[in-house]
Amino acid sequence: MHIDMVAMAQELNSHPDEGELEKYSMGDLREEEDRFEEHLLHCEHCQRRLAETDAYVAAMRRAAAAI
Amino acid sequence: MNSAVEPDVQTGPAPPDPSWCDLVERIRTADPSGMEGLYSILAKGVRYYLWRQLGPQDLDDKVHDLFLTVNQSIRNGELREPARLMGYVRTIVRRQVAADIHGAVQSRRTRVALDSGVPLSDHRPDPEHQMIERQNQDLAMRILGSLHKRDRQVLTRFYLREEPAEQICREMDLTETQFRLIKSRAKARFTELGRRRLAPRAGLSPVTH
Repeated sequence: MHIDMVAMAQELNSHPDEGELEKYSMGDLREEEDRFEEHLLHCEHCQRRLAETDAYVAAMRRAAAAI
Repeated sequence: MNSAVEPDVQTGPAPPDPSWCDLVERIRTADPSGMEGLYSILAKGVRYYLWRQLGPQDLDDKVHDLFLTVNQSIRNGELREPARLMGYVRTIVRRQVAADIHGAVQSRRTRVALDSGVPLSDHRPDPEHQMIERQNQDLAMRILGSLHKRDRQVLTRFYLREEPAEQICREMDLTETQFRLIKSRAKARFTELGRRRLAPRAGLSPVTH
């Protein structure tokens, strides 16, 4: 049980969370940017997540400006 | 770039812990599998990074040039800590991005001096991406239009005006949880609508090229 929880914690910690993705997308992830980008360079999973976040942030910006 | 149609991937499997030391050693010894491994990483991760920073122009050439640079510098022994391969790659990529931007600025100055009005380069997305962007904007407008004025104001202040979350919460008397909920509900709705819209389509992200 303890091992499973450790493994789970490691898995959760291995990817940036949604908040970090959004901050990076908006150019606001400062102190953690190095670690984030190094992870991004080899993690296709997070490349897809960032692409989605970028699309969302851009769409919200344009929509909010247009309304 | 793909739009927000992918399933929620936050809980997806973590990537395997890559053995950078092994990969670096294979590159150093000119083992073809090492170069293949490096290229497969750069062709995806670096491609996406460059596309995001510089746009689609000459992307394949830039990725290839970076591959050659990284490969050669590793073989020259310039990477002292193999476990830090991604940090090393990132440094080289960022240097390349800075050089490209500097070159573009210089080129622009020269061209403007020679012939005012000549565009620097075309960084606009291709027609298919433009269409996706328009559709995404329509979705976002539907979502914003369906919200209460106050929630719409929160999202506008955050995404458009880029006001800090703390400031928005303070001035609009919101808790951090309420703020996060407004954002996460809107994003979930966007993802859901996008998934419905693009379900039959193939992915268009540069990540998958």
